[in-house]
Amino acid sequence: MLSTNLRNNILVVRVEEKRIDASKAPTFKDEMAKCIEAGQNQLVLDLSQVDFIDSSGLGALVSCLKRLGPRGSLAVAGATGAVSRLFTLTRMDRVFALHANVDSAVEQLSA
Amino acid sequence: MVSSISLSIDSDLDKVSLLARAVRALCEDLLSPEDQDAVELSLVEAINNVIKHGYHGERGKDVQVAVGLQADQVVIEIIDHAPPMPAQVLDNVPEDTFAFDETDLADIPEGGMGLALIRMNMDEVEYHSSESENRLRMVKRIGAPS
Repeated sequence: MLSTNLRNNILVVRVEEKRIDASKAPTFKDEMAKCIEAGQNQLVLDLSQVDFIDSSGLGALVSCLKRLGPRGSLAVAGATGAVSRLFTLTRMDRVFALHANVDSAVEQLSA
Repeated sequence: MVSSISLSIDSDLDKVSLLARAVRALCEDLLSPEDQDAVELSLVEAINNVIKHGYHGERGKDVQVAVGLQADQVVIEIIDHAPPMPAQVLDNVPEDTFAFDETDLADIPEGGMGLALIRMNMDEVEYHSSESENRLRMVKRIGAPS
């Protein structure tokens, strides 16, 4: 459900599903874990294709952050509508740096 | 105008999105996009809870959703036949679920957010269990400031 692309030594991970819900969260977590275990610790998660995330999906994102540990970073790009609202509502916008798009996320992380 | 419809799925997490999209479409003319988001999220959280905690992930059990479209509110009821949720759970949803310390990784929640989200997104939430069924009733008022 993910496609990846390395830019300026930052791994851009695009979610190729419209929903990250309880049925998809375990696969999402596993595929993200593989990216992290491959040695990447600066990630941008591109959510531009995603129009719905539930608390299981959000929990999976948090578990990726914990897996990355304090030295890693996980930025979120392209969250709109219900997805961006969920981040605000749960105050997870304080946890994940939200960027309008992948370009600006990569730019900030490489600065 | 009052109209209502009943929908049902098998207790399979893969099928929840079908129901969510159907209910969202039903609310399209009545609710703002933000309120449609609120209803869709609450519905998904409620059904996930039924499947994961009520039926312990077992498939082949029934989950029914009754949607009532009224002049001033949308009423969503989720009906299941699982062992009931303990009565106090809904009343004791912690107010501070999202008051975590974002500088402390360990303090950021990975789960236990569903009921808190339902409480935040709906105007009324009630849970009733009888001999025959459990019923979670959620109301979204039309045009109410969120």
